[in-house]
Amino acid sequence: MAKRLRRRFYTVTLILLGVMLATVTPVMGQTAPVDTSDSSPHSEASLASTVSAVAPGETFTVALYIEMDEGWHTYWINPGDSGEPVTIEWSLPDELDAGAFKWPYPHRIDASVLTSYGYSDRVLLPATVSASSDLAVGDSVTIRGQASWLICADVCLPASASVERTFAVASESVSASSAEVQRIEQAQARVPESAPDWTFEASRSEGSYGLAFTHSDGNGPDISSAQFFPEEGDVLDHAAAQPLTRQVDAFVMALQASPYAQSPADTLRGVLVAPSGTSWIPGEEVRAIRVQAPVVADGAGTLSIQENGLAASTGSGSGRVALGWALLMAFAGGLLLNLMPCVFPVLSIKILGFADSSGEDPTAMRRHGWLFGAGVLVSMWVLAGTLLGLRAAGNEIGWGFQLQSPAFVALMALLFVGIGYNLLGAFEVGTTLMNWGGRLQGTTPDSGNRGAFMTGILATIIATPCTAPFMGAALGVALASSAPGAFAIFSMLGAGMATPYVGLSMTPRLLDRLPEPGPWMETLKQFFAFPMFATAIWLLWVFAQQTGHNAVALLLFGILLLGVASWILNRWSAPTVSRTARIVSRALVATILVGAVTLALVGARYDRSGSSSTSTTNADAQWMSYSAERVDSLRSTGRPVFIDFTAAWCLTCQVNKQTVLTAPEVTDAFEQSNVALIRADWTNRDADITRALASHGRSGVPVYVYYAGPDARAEILPEVLTKDMILDRLSGGT
Amino acid sequence: MTVRRLVTSLFAVLLIALAPSDILAQEAAVNQQAPGFTLKAADGETHSLSDFEGKYVVLEWLNYGCPFVQKHYQSGNMQQLQKTYTEKDVVWLSIVSSAEGKQGYYPPNEMLEQKKKHSGEMTAILMDTSGEVGRAYGAQVTPHMYVINPEGQLIYKGGIDDKPTTDTADIEGATNYVQLALDQAMSGEEVKVQTARPYGCTVKYAAK
Repeated sequence: MAKRLRRRFYTVTLILLGVMLATVTPVMGQTAPVDTSDSSPHSEASLASTVSAVAPGETFTVALYIEMDEGWHTYWINPGDSGEPVTIEWSLPDELDAGAFKWPYPHRIDASVLTSYGYSDRVLLPATVSASSDLAVGDSVTIRGQASWLICADVCLPASASVERTFAVASESVSASSAEVQRIEQAQARVPESAPDWTFEASRSEGSYGLAFTHSDGNGPDISSAQFFPEEGDVLDHAAAQPLTRQVDAFVMALQASPYAQSPADTLRGVLVAPSGTSWIPGEEVRAIRVQAPVVADGAGTLSIQENGLAASTGSGSGRVALGWALLMAFAGGLLLNLMPCVFPVLSIKILGFADSSGEDPTAMRRHGWLFGAGVLVSMWVLAGTLLGLRAAGNEIGWGFQLQSPAFVALMALLFVGIGYNLLGAFEVGTTLMNWGGRLQGTTPDSGNRGAFMTGILATIIATPCTAPFMGAALGVALASSAPGAFAIFSMLGAGMATPYVGLSMTPRLLDRLPEPGPWMETLKQFFAFPMFATAIWLLWVFAQQTGHNAVALLLFGILLLGVASWILNRWSAPTVSRTARIVSRALVATILVGAVTLALVGARYDRSGSSSTSTTNADAQWMSYSAERVDSLRSTGRPVFIDFTAAWCLTCQVNKQTVLTAPEVTDAFEQSNVALIRADWTNRDADITRALASHGRSGVPVYVYYAGPDARAEILPEVLTKDMILDRLSGGT
Repeated sequence: MTVRRLVTSLFAVLLIALAPSDILAQEAAVNQQAPGFTLKAADGETHSLSDFEGKYVVLEWLNYGCPFVQKHYQSGNMQQLQKTYTEKDVVWLSIVSSAEGKQGYYPPNEMLEQKKKHSGEMTAILMDTSGEVGRAYGAQVTPHMYVINPEGQLIYKGGIDDKPTTDTADIEGATNYVQLALDQAMSGEEVKVQTARPYGCTVKYAAK
């Protein structure tokens, strides 16, 4: 390796021929004659220079000039995933000394899954040559070099060439042709400069780095993207996206670690390139600057540049699942949402409502179908907008963020109890309010339209506590991609969710197949109240972990008020009472509802006595709570490490925990293999955990990560776990 | 505590009925069962991975036109490895995933000539013209190397050694990961390096 480095970086081979040098006899006379046509396919190499005559004691620049056929490329000092850098072995007279190549910044070359860094069409690699003052004016000197490079298009061919150039020695140097000088200057302009006004720092968390940089007087360019080219091979994942975020004066770029990294880097070295037309240094044209960023420490909060500057790393992790796949998974996830216990009852009743109206005007039915779909999509977009907006504002959140807010959980509990009461028939909501109970039919067309749209919105709202399979990975990509990508994924999720309903409304033939309406529908409707109550109980349980018993009591009191309100609404319902009684009762209901919501919100705000992290950890003593440092230190001891990313509000997580992770066979197997168990509890917001999730390409829970050993890569187990998966994994590992 | 258990169990029942299993196909990963395959060799014989149960199997992605492959064939390094290990009853399968008309593809009879010309010592050269097996294994470059143990598990996936160059002079002094994995596994030790950066030319797959 050392030998190779020497050749690459400062290949100055001095051939000592003693006295003969005084006459500057060409050395290396025994090398093969120059034969570029054969040895360098699809490319030609020559030596360019800023001068045609050199003066003793001066320095000048020569450049290896490689001209390539169109569509062919060669490689930078770090070729990336494949390739090999250009090398040259100089043969110089004693009076000349050549430095290493100054590499102009490369461009990214993507070939299927591999990403390389290199140059296309042509490249000049400049090197500084200094002439000793011993040079005798009137003599001539010759610079020779044996260059070799790989020339690649979809195939790669080795190429090599001997290049040489002879210079007259004059008392004053003579410039080469202006075209040649200009070409070299253009290449030099692309050589990254050191920029003392910029400060670089990096942080590392599992599997990713955050490269933070800031300008000393805050006078940075206004850019939204940049490219970082690492100088070393096995440090970063070359193919990964490099999302950049700006927070006040600091930029933070999220970088994925190379899966082949032997050990974490303590310094990130490379070149940072700004988009065309921008400059790192005000008033100058500097697109590329050299980066040498010390990696401060593991985890968060340690960067002096910016305390919370790593929000960007949550935007990383793309490239694990392609956008196309993510869209597909989002659609499938949306479809499956229809079957989730929180959504299924409401929508199925809605669909059965079609049976009643199947004899009716198909145009109206179709219109209702579309409006429902529109309602779902619009609310999905609002959700996506909120999520992206909060993240842009620097919040470390991911999917499920809504459930990390106790206020939201409390309101959802009220909503589910309300829907339950309604399904039971405890009260009827008239045509003036949203039509949620499957009474699409029989109203005026106008309110029917509004009802369909509102049902779409309601369906999305009640779907938010549920995560279907496939959604996790898709939403992970959504949060990592650009805003349009995220909206596309949320749209697909909505489309998937709306498809069964819209599809049915479009196909009267299918509607005819629905069972005959009858009293059984009312029975079914009432029965479906119980999944609603079950969901409410679960929400209460989540709420209890986020807050404490006082808050729970307040919320339950709010639910009681909700019951009172629905009783009043039913007892003094519109057709049976006088106008005055109706107005009074409605006012009372409104007041009580406000009271219920207030109680819920007050509870959510004021009581934080029982935080989930304490209550879950003493329940499972062998599980340690998560920190990036703990994971690293445990891994360095050689123990296998299993990390459970979970949250109280995540149903799938709880299912996996109860049925798999706490099963005796599994706990025994963990013990036998001496697996260190770590639980990352995301019930409440936690920036560290959000970042760790992002490093695995996810934005939500559950995620199960297993490290078989200190050098093993993180393995992500499926979201829906089985005992066999874990047992197989443990017996197969190490 | 029991209440919490009860509550979660309740939801567990609800969810389990609804949750489908993970159906996404995964590409070959170390410490997991190596994907099975059946391919025709250049000599017309058909080989399945399952035929070699109970033996160590090396998979080598091959493209004779690739300078990184040439590094190991012109120096005799690859043939030496093939010879050493096939003599120890290891099955060495060189797989060509180049599509027809792309670099590295030869019709079977010409492939046999290439094998002779390069004095190949592999058990067989397998034709994966569709690229199906290459994709199932996630083969990115030539030479991309895989080692499978007698139980059919993948124990190494990655580059042939730690010197990602085309220079034959770099073979001496390089750490050969295939050799390392085989020697360690065959002597009952733990395979220390289970994966390393693959290097070489991209596999010339058929367009999808």
